[in-house]
Amino acid sequence: MGFTDQEILETIRMFELETLDIRTTTLGISLFDCADPDIESACEKVYAKIVHHGRNLVAVANSISTDYGIKIVNKRIATTPIAWIAAACGERDLVPFARAMDAAAKVCGVDFIGGYSAYVYKGMTNADRALLESIPRALAETNSVCASVALGTTRAGLNMDAIARFSELVLETAALTADRGGLGCAKLVCFCNPVEDNPFVAGAHSGVGEPETVVNVGVSGPGVVRSAIERLGPEADLLAVSETIKRTAFKITRMGELVGREAARRLGTTFGIVDVSLAPTPAIGDSVSDILELIGVDRTGAPGTTAALALLTDAVKKGGAMASSSVGGLSGAFIPVSEDAGMIEAVRVGALSLAKLEAMTSVCSVGLDMVAVPGDTPASTLTGIIADELAIGMVNAKTTAVRIIPVPGKRPGETVEWGGLLGTAIVQDPGAFGCRVLHARGGRIPAPLQSYKN
Amino acid sequence: MAKKFITTEDVRRAGAGELVVDADTIVTPQAMEFATQNGVRFKDARGAAYSEPPPDRGPDAQRALRSLPHLPEPASDSDIGSTQMVVVTAVGRNRAGVLAEITAALSSANCSVHDISQKMVQGFFHLVLTVEVPPGSSFAGIKQTLECLGGQDDYVCRVMHERVFRFMHRL
Repeated sequence: MGFTDQEILETIRMFELETLDIRTTTLGISLFDCADPDIESACEKVYAKIVHHGRNLVAVANSISTDYGIKIVNKRIATTPIAWIAAACGERDLVPFARAMDAAAKVCGVDFIGGYSAYVYKGMTNADRALLESIPRALAETNSVCASVALGTTRAGLNMDAIARFSELVLETAALTADRGGLGCAKLVCFCNPVEDNPFVAGAHSGVGEPETVVNVGVSGPGVVRSAIERLGPEADLLAVSETIKRTAFKITRMGELVGREAARRLGTTFGIVDVSLAPTPAIGDSVSDILELIGVDRTGAPGTTAALALLTDAVKKGGAMASSSVGGLSGAFIPVSEDAGMIEAVRVGALSLAKLEAMTSVCSVGLDMVAVPGDTPASTLTGIIADELAIGMVNAKTTAVRIIPVPGKRPGETVEWGGLLGTAIVQDPGAFGCRVLHARGGRIPAPLQSYKN
Repeated sequence: MAKKFITTEDVRRAGAGELVVDADTIVTPQAMEFATQNGVRFKDARGAAYSEPPPDRGPDAQRALRSLPHLPEPASDSDIGSTQMVVVTAVGRNRAGVLAEITAALSSANCSVHDISQKMVQGFFHLVLTVEVPPGSSFAGIKQTLECLGGQDDYVCRVMHERVFRFMHRL
């Protein structure tokens, strides 16, 4: 076989000491054939189809874990955006769809199911509007359902009417889940340039171009990259840092490729993509922030952070692209503030502001993620924060997202504990100045010049 | 009834008696329960009782499954046929009998050691064995047996499939 001891021990170290794992195996399921003029029948079909295809997912993922000795942390399901399925029934209250998804997820044994979603980047259908209006209740009344709304694209511009309404819905969702620190908002995300094969919640869904069923895999491994840079030492130049990250990302992605192929074979379906995203967890060492600090900034958020993150994201993509022909999804580095112990600390010591975070999102793979703001933040300010973030995505032809939690009753600097993977957040100050006129204007920000490619 | 799904409403409309459904039709659990309560039975075209069809993963799935074995995969040096190769590692404080314990467990599972190496550093050892698991043997069982060896303040034994190392370290 010809493996050296060094190679074998490197792999063992990655899994045992550096928390390398497969972060998610997500089964995408098309629900187009579940549309029905009668909402009860449509919900029955949604439930039946998710269970029909998804009931083996956990067993298959566990069998791969056992056979290969690789930990697969999460098993999830992503569906066709429900607004497209619900259009046939013409109902205004679409919460029954969320209940059907939630019940199906429970039967399948998955912790989250994504797809309570709508695409409204240019305008809304009646079903899109019904879905948006039902989001606060849907998230408050279910445990596992995640909602996502596409509010802009490079080709269409930003739908500012929808962004304004979305901001109000974020506040309503927080209010309905006030007893849990506004936790409903952790299951709600908006996008510019949504990714239709994203395996990570809360934005997971199976878009219009996706197959009947598909397995998408999300690999992680910030701990592995962190250790590799630590071993490299502070004397190595940035080219060496980039090369080290690239090589490490290659090895991590190969694990995703292996698990993706096996999961597809065992489920009898299509292998979609490997999402190579460094996804932190609150566990010590499993932090993207630690990587940035090892690259050379005193604290995440200090000058140099955006440059370090740009290097990291780029090197991860390059390593991943060489390791699999199926790299897709978001692929890069996630910076969910509350889920990364290093970022929480950076906020606590005052190094990481909301403004710097926004700058960082222009070079990472997603956007403002798991950011807590005071519960009394005006909707117009949320509109401004969301529009700013989505404008970065629109102009740079990249995906950006906002998952922001206005924590009821909390002031800037206070702490909120969500527990588990969602972690702890320190409420950040959105500033004293707002954008009420911009919020009230509505309309659309037209597509930028760089969208005219034909 | 040639439909993709049979819902409660379909059963209600059909009334009592028997409903003939296609082999690939999915009867929703709610429809099944409603039918049972109302004495409606589902049958296929040949008169057999309904059973849920296997999942139809869609038109891409068959081609995708055919192409999976043809995706380039890092080659294995040894011709192992239907057997599986696993890599066993043990790390811990050295004492008499560690290697004997591990190889005895492998022997009782009919596993054959293909390669072995051990290094000692300041009273600690690390041991790497490449092992052939015979056809029909349970990888999960062997893994569990080996990983139960040793213990706290003794040594830790890990078992991983050889394909993991091939994917990570070979092109």
